Amino acid sequence: MTRARIFFTGVGGQGTLTATTLLARTALDAGLPVTSGEIHGMAQRGGVVESTLLVGGYKSAIIAPGEADVILGFELLETLRALPMLKRGGFVVGNSEALQPVGVCLGRECYPPLEAVLETAKGFAAQVVLVPCISLAEQAGTAKAANTVLLGAAAACGALPFSVADLTRSIEKYLKPKLVDVNLKALALGAEAAKAGQAA
Amino acid sequence: MGKELLKTEGGDTLLLLGNEAIVRGTLEGGVRFVTCYPGTPSSEAPDTFFRLSQGAPYYFEYSVNEKVALEVAGGATLAGLPSLCTMKHVGVNVAADPLMTLAYVSAPGGLVLLSADDPGCHSSQNEQDNRIYARLGGLPCFEPATAQECKDMARDAMLLSRKLETPVLLRTTTRVNHVRGPVVTGDLPATPYEKPFVKDPAKYVPLPASARVMHKRLRAILDGLVAEADASPYNVESGAGELGFISSGVSRNYLSDVLEEEGLVGKVRLLELGMTYPLPENRIAAFLAACKKVLIVEELEPVLENEIRALAQTRGIEVEILGKSEHLPRLGEFSTANVRQAVRAFVGQPAAVVDALTVPGDLPRRPPNLCAGCPHRAAYYAVREVYGDTAVYSSDIGCYTLGFLPPFRAADFLLCMGSSISTGAGFARASGKPVVAFIGDSTFFHSGITGLIDAVAYKHDVLIVILDNRTTAMTGHQPNPGVDTTIFGENPNPVDLMALIRACGVEPVKVNPLNHKATLAALTELSKQTGPRVLVAEYPCPIHARRVGQAKKTLPARVAGDPAACLTVRDNLACPAFAMVDGQFTINAEQCDGCMFCVQLSPDLKPGKKEAK
Ligand code: SF4
Ligand code: SF4
Repeated sequence: MTRARIFFTGVGGQGTLTATTLLARTALDAGLPVTSGEIHGMAQRGGVVESTLLVGGYKSAIIAPGEADVILGFELLETLRALPMLKRGGFVVGNSEALQPVGVCLGRECYPPLEAVLETAKGFAAQVVLVPCISLAEQAGTAKAANTVLLGAAAACGALPFSVADLTRSIEKYLKPKLVDVNLKALALGAEAAKAGQAA
Repeated sequence: MGKELLKTEGGDTLLLLGNEAIVRGTLEGGVRFVTCYPGTPSSEAPDTFFRLSQGAPYYFEYSVNEKVALEVAGGATLAGLPSLCTMKHVGVNVAADPLMTLAYVSAPGGLVLLSADDPGCHSSQNEQDNRIYARLGGLPCFEPATAQECKDMARDAMLLSRKLETPVLLRTTTRVNHVRGPVVTGDLPATPYEKPFVKDPAKYVPLPASARVMHKRLRAILDGLVAEADASPYNVESGAGELGFISSGVSRNYLSDVLEEEGLVGKVRLLELGMTYPLPENRIAAFLAACKKVLIVEELEPVLENEIRALAQTRGIEVEILGKSEHLPRLGEFSTANVRQAVRAFVGQPAAVVDALTVPGDLPRRPPNLCAGCPHRAAYYAVREVYGDTAVYSSDIGCYTLGFLPPFRAADFLLCMGSSISTGAGFARASGKPVVAFIGDSTFFHSGITGLIDAVAYKHDVLIVILDNRTTAMTGHQPNPGVDTTIFGENPNPVDLMALIRACGVEPVKVNPLNHKATLAALTELSKQTGPRVLVAEYPCPIHARRVGQAKKTLPARVAGDPAACLTVRDNLACPAFAMVDGQFTINAEQCDGCMFCVQLSPDLKPGKKEAK
């Protein structure tokens, strides 16, 4: 993969932007030109956070509908919402676990089932891999590492222009020392889950 | 981004946010004095200066508002220091008064104004195009598009400003401020630039007689700059052919990617503008003369389009000029998608068919929401209990604007930063209806206080609720004049909000909004009075308290009784820690902040139990 547009979506506080920056650094270390974009502001109060990473010589940091080679979804509903960004034959790697928006909690709206993502993407995406990121992160030591679980899953199923080993190096190099171990564990658990999911 | 931004030697490749790159660029330009009022999408620029400010070679302040920020920076440049002033686009409206005269009075030490526009209204009340301010105020204007250009243009804007002694506008847009990309750094200047002040009132005091002379001087500078713009390395021409494109700012990125993907690179003529005011007129004229047809690709207003049309007419150049059309709208931000359609239509290709999935339109929305444990939620709850729908709610700019959503619906109108008290006062005077005006502490200092003074002077009938969360939460928890603590410790000079209100002529009532009974009692009492009244609902924003290490340790709340009995609390409070699991109301202990507000509303909710050791 020489050029890739990667679209990240999640909910404020999920570490979407941290994951974006980590991937951007990985790309830079691999000698790939990179540009990345993020939208802050209102999104920080539990709203949707979207960011982009464009590898291989794009100038715009924005992704239009039908343009994303990869969607990395940190939350199930937001993954579904972002599917129009996907390019035919692209990858969807997402968290299978939900964070209820307030309307769902208040019983005014219904949270879509996991199958909705699979159904919608079927026949359009090359691959859809959903892994339980929060549970796996808790297993690794902290729910906060759910973003790393997702990166591990994405790298393992070949959605990214980087390997799990590349990401291992970035985690060791760029995360605070006390966070390295738990994130390496999270990365491995994500990779394993994705491989198991692919095999299934 | 840490200390590497202050490193003296250049030559590093850093992965920087556009706003961080601006910081490095102005440092390379020798900046010694930085003022701002925070505002998305500009905030990370001043926040980075603030974080690095201890022991750094510059003075930094979060000014009380943008007008003050520009005036303080204006004083610093008059005193001879290279200065930077940062704000979001609507902030420039607040600063417009000094701005319109600033270029007359000149900037001996150099002064760059960063204006961050927000096409698409990602976090703003409008999407005005501040390139027009460059024209109105007579400021040379740079428009970066990448992180590297943010760094380079910030430096060169500062150097140009120093050279000409005139203020320069660095105009960005959201997608540029928040782009992240590699930036190759340059060296920081070895010797600081200073220009000692020499008294010369005719030069610096715009009385009518001197102002006329100053205006003439400014026009001469701008006319002289056309040659500089013509030669600027930021204005780049490429390609060949009869079809031409002219673009500036972030639109250049979209255009460049589209030309590449459409296989048009080299086959069409392209003029990319980075230094956009004054226009590189001779360069553009030559470009127009070589083309049969030109498409101007610019976000928001047809600023270049109109000026280039005028230029073609003045110089008698016969060329077809296209710009704003159905593909390149005047509203919202551009993307590769709409630029692609415009380019294809322009070169005579059929419209591109977008192959994309559709998802159900009725997916649950995820609007931003006040955080779990936010004291504003408690304040809104109490006000609703007292006033319900009988009052009209005048709102202002801050996290608390989110109170406009259900269940609170506590925002009936909003004009701009600091307007809630005065607009509420006008509404009350005109309608005779009860009005509650909400305003935050930072916003009150920013420009709400003048509304209070007016309300006192004219006895406007308005209840003002100051939601004092001890920080400027909305833009990223910057300190304001009233705060007790910052990331560097205690604020040595806090402004006493209560005394200030008293001095304006109202005896304020202060409550902790998380104490429901007391807040309700105070509001009930105030609702029976008339004239201007002030309730200060003071409790620190929990996110800020955590950041400065002042958060109290509390246990999460829990459902102790019948979950079905708590549904009214759920509906009226809508705390994000509430959840429904298998149809049962529950509190998500991970999310709960332990503010203990909800437990005051239902006997079925209780504080969490300490775990047995
Ligand atoms: S950041 Fe602070 S003030 Fe803003 S919504 Fe969250 S808790 Fe409330
Ligand atoms: S105590 Fe209640 S209101 Fe406060 S954060 Fe927890 S659930 Fe929300």
